[in-house]
Amino acid sequence: MRECLSIHIGQAGIQIGDACWELYCLEHGIQPNGVVLDSQQDQLENAKMEHTNASFDTFFCETRAGKHVPRALFVDLEPTVIDGIRTGQHRSLFHPEQLLSGKEDAANNYARGRYSVGSEVIDLVLERTRKLAEQCGGLQGFLIFRSFGGGTGSGFTSLLMERLTGEYSRKTKLEFSVYPAPRISTAVVEPYNSVLTTHSTTEHTDCTFMVDNEAVYDICHRKLSVECPSHASINRLVVQVVSSITASLRFEGPLNVDLIEFQTNLVPYPRIHFPMTAFAPIVSADKAYHEQFSVSDITTACFEFSNQLVKCDPRLGKYMACCLLYRGDVIPKEVNAAIAATKSRHSVQFVDWCPTGFKVGINNRPPTVMPGGDLAKVHRSICMLSNTTAIVEAWARLDHKFDLMYAKRAFLHWYLREGMEEAEFLEAREDLAALERDYEEVVQSF
Amino acid sequence: MSDTLTADVIGRRVEVNGEHATVRFAGVVPPVAGPWFGVEWDNPERGKHDGSHEGTVYFKCRHPTGGSFIRPNKVNFGTDFLTAIKNRYVLEDGPEEDRKEQIVTIGNKPVETIGFDSIMKQQSQLSKLQEVSLRNCAVSCAGEKGGVAEACPNIRKVDLSKNLLSSWDEVIHIADQLRHLEVLNVSENKLKFPSGSVLTGTLSALKVLVLNQTGITWAEAHAQCGGSHGLDMQKDASKFVDLCVLQKCSTSNCIISAKDHTSMRMNVAKVLRCVAGCPGLEELYLESNNIFISERPTDVLQTVKLLDLSSNQLIDENQLYLIAHLPRLEQLILSDTGISSLHFPDAGIGCKTSMFPSLKYLVVNDNQISQWSFFNELEKLPSLRALSCLRNPLTKEDKEAETARLLIIASIGRLKTLNKCEILPEERRRAELDYRKAFGNEWKQAGGHKDPEKNRLSEEFLTAHPRYQFLCLKYGAPEDWELKTQQPLMLKNQLLTLKIKYPHQLDQKVLEKQLPGSMTIQKVKGLLSRLLKVPVSDLLLSYESPKKPGREIELENDLKSLQFYSVENGDCLLVRW
Repeated sequence: MRECLSIHIGQAGIQIGDACWELYCLEHGIQPNGVVLDSQQDQLENAKMEHTNASFDTFFCETRAGKHVPRALFVDLEPTVIDGIRTGQHRSLFHPEQLLSGKEDAANNYARGRYSVGSEVIDLVLERTRKLAEQCGGLQGFLIFRSFGGGTGSGFTSLLMERLTGEYSRKTKLEFSVYPAPRISTAVVEPYNSVLTTHSTTEHTDCTFMVDNEAVYDICHRKLSVECPSHASINRLVVQVVSSITASLRFEGPLNVDLIEFQTNLVPYPRIHFPMTAFAPIVSADKAYHEQFSVSDITTACFEFSNQLVKCDPRLGKYMACCLLYRGDVIPKEVNAAIAATKSRHSVQFVDWCPTGFKVGINNRPPTVMPGGDLAKVHRSICMLSNTTAIVEAWARLDHKFDLMYAKRAFLHWYLREGMEEAEFLEAREDLAALERDYEEVVQSF
Repeated sequence: MSDTLTADVIGRRVEVNGEHATVRFAGVVPPVAGPWFGVEWDNPERGKHDGSHEGTVYFKCRHPTGGSFIRPNKVNFGTDFLTAIKNRYVLEDGPEEDRKEQIVTIGNKPVETIGFDSIMKQQSQLSKLQEVSLRNCAVSCAGEKGGVAEACPNIRKVDLSKNLLSSWDEVIHIADQLRHLEVLNVSENKLKFPSGSVLTGTLSALKVLVLNQTGITWAEAHAQCGGSHGLDMQKDASKFVDLCVLQKCSTSNCIISAKDHTSMRMNVAKVLRCVAGCPGLEELYLESNNIFISERPTDVLQTVKLLDLSSNQLIDENQLYLIAHLPRLEQLILSDTGISSLHFPDAGIGCKTSMFPSLKYLVVNDNQISQWSFFNELEKLPSLRALSCLRNPLTKEDKEAETARLLIIASIGRLKTLNKCEILPEERRRAELDYRKAFGNEWKQAGGHKDPEKNRLSEEFLTAHPRYQFLCLKYGAPEDWELKTQQPLMLKNQLLTLKIKYPHQLDQKVLEKQLPGSMTIQKVKGLLSRLLKVPVSDLLLSYESPKKPGREIELENDLKSLQFYSVENGDCLLVRW
């Protein structure tokens, strides 16, 4: 019951997915071939197994042979990235039907992803989704992983989301989206793709967790001593956050136990569904055990700018909702003390119309790290999800870049050539402008 | 907080109002009545004096303001392990708990805690606890024998950092009772290590031992990780320490007191003694202990995969030879140790050393590396695949960082990861080609030649660039045209020095002129016309090059430049009319 289906779209979605399932397997004790680690026979092990078995089900499907197959679908319009998974370490974890690839890619073009190339693959994807959904006793909803800037991530996702709403209207859809960053991007047209996809997907998503590549890049560079962070380092950090967010879904936890709760706790208006994420502590593996991070240390840290996954200044905005999820060796007494001691709490401003403040939960499963990664293993971690109006900064930046290019109609012919019209651009831009205004309205007091 | 002024109080670790100290004296301090404890603070500036009062010396401190006299009732001797666990994890009912009344707010809205009751219930089940953190919980002893084993036998990881443990024996008493203990962290405890008593206690499952900042010395750690040898230098009775489980030991914060300085060499043996009892140890962390490696671990540390020696300023490259033969050592962390060079004298140029046979990942951030020869030495390591070398004088300049990266990649052939960034084949190719080109001129001057018969490189060059020959084999010897140094873009460098001959007029002198390559033929004709007093339309120009004697090239298009016709320095213009 309460199963969650993950759909990974495009290069970003797939590479994050690869790292993500690797981490989930480590956390649940599943080996790369899908079999659960059956180490010691003593009572404690069995007790542990019982504890975790119940939660396997949400993300993994157990076959008769005892294999645990992830409830996931990987989709891309060209085969290279998916071939990486087909030949990678976890190839025996997934069923071949879960890895879908087309022949011709979307070439960083929303129009190709959505209209021309995407439309050829959509039916197959929906069929596979149906199959996976049928295996579920009570499907809660979908977790979509994708980037805003790529062709498949933007275009194909919009198409898919529309069709999913049509077929599964009452299921929640949560997104993990990669917001484009100039330092690691390869395409100039990312602002176009981002605006277009946000316009078409907003009404179909219930909650979108944005990850700004630039913010994560900086974290890797400064805190983890990685000289030139590659996608691999960035993804390893991103999946730690994803793991924290989905921890309550996978293990017994108090807060955000199902997808609907995310909505209830974090989303006051349907369009205002972009929470900001912050994570602490972030320690380099070379400095393991050099410093200890207590509950109060990590609580203070997650209010810091440098620990945020999206670059914006929450002090300039107001909070509408916030969740603090602790993980690992955390005592309730310490949490209360830590929160009381956090100095930043005075600079936190809530909107007037919101009755509740922070929700705090503890999940006592310790955080895991991938061996050979950049992060050190820590005893406890915290993930803060906050719906703050300050995130409108991220949209403003994107819109500005869009305007610069669109004013000159630069690169537009790539889209028009695939059958799109300028009107769609204008509509999308208008929608984003309206989104910015919505955020402003929310802040105003009556 | 007993009033007993027995001798066993001396040396105990205590806590007073959050500050940690060691008891150095117990007794009466006239003229004030009543018992006093003389303590030496961890923080050298916390105290009022150095152990003497009104002329009489009661105890000694390292620092003139390191000591104080405190009333016994103000001093906390700490608690035992089991009580500390209960204090932290067990839900306590009762009127003392005021948690219900305490509503914390953030930004004027209340904080709602969800599910805390069930968490507290879960954590109260001590027998199920696997990962326990008792940092700064004033743990000073193991407590009742067997109590821990009975109450929480399933603990796998315990963090006992910054407590009041005063001796390694106490640590063993605790760890001994935890059969499944895999990770033990006793950092920031000033531990006294035994010097001669037999330690019984086996930590057979221990994989990770963290001993950062404990003041431990090498020989002590050595012993804890499994071996009874290596104590010869100290002339100590060999200790049979049976700590097999300790896999991860963390001893941090070693402070060597004035006393210890005199016997510093002796103390170094203590690390090894601690480790003697952990036969399966895989990771050993010894950050910030002022350690210097004094002896070679023979029976101990043989299973260790990771050794962290960061921030031990006394380490130098010669000491590294003593740990060079650990068979399983895969990761060595030497950040912030002041190292500036490494040598593997057993291997010549281009050969692999027998030292550090399994070392895959070396971390040398924040050191004093300033010579490129450092990387040439690293090339000798047979298994090295990853290196982190940030914040060294050699790699500090920002604009040089990229060049530095390419040079390091080219110097160490089998490196796969540098500064946590994977080296893709494309990057390696680029780096190696750049290296080959950059030192091409030096190579030529040192006797390099693309004909292997004529290739006789100087010893000096081979030492400075051990991989150069290999690069020549891989990519071919550098061509001359590749090695032409670029002249700065000044006008005088762009002028062509040309001879001007008049084949039909043999009596005319041969002129030499300097003309820019971009000059068009028309303008050249104009110049010559003025010189020779011949109309432009009558002139016919061609040129010949000493590189291709006998071949004459006509310069027929007036609008093209000399450069277009590839006229070069030293060529000869032929003018006819």
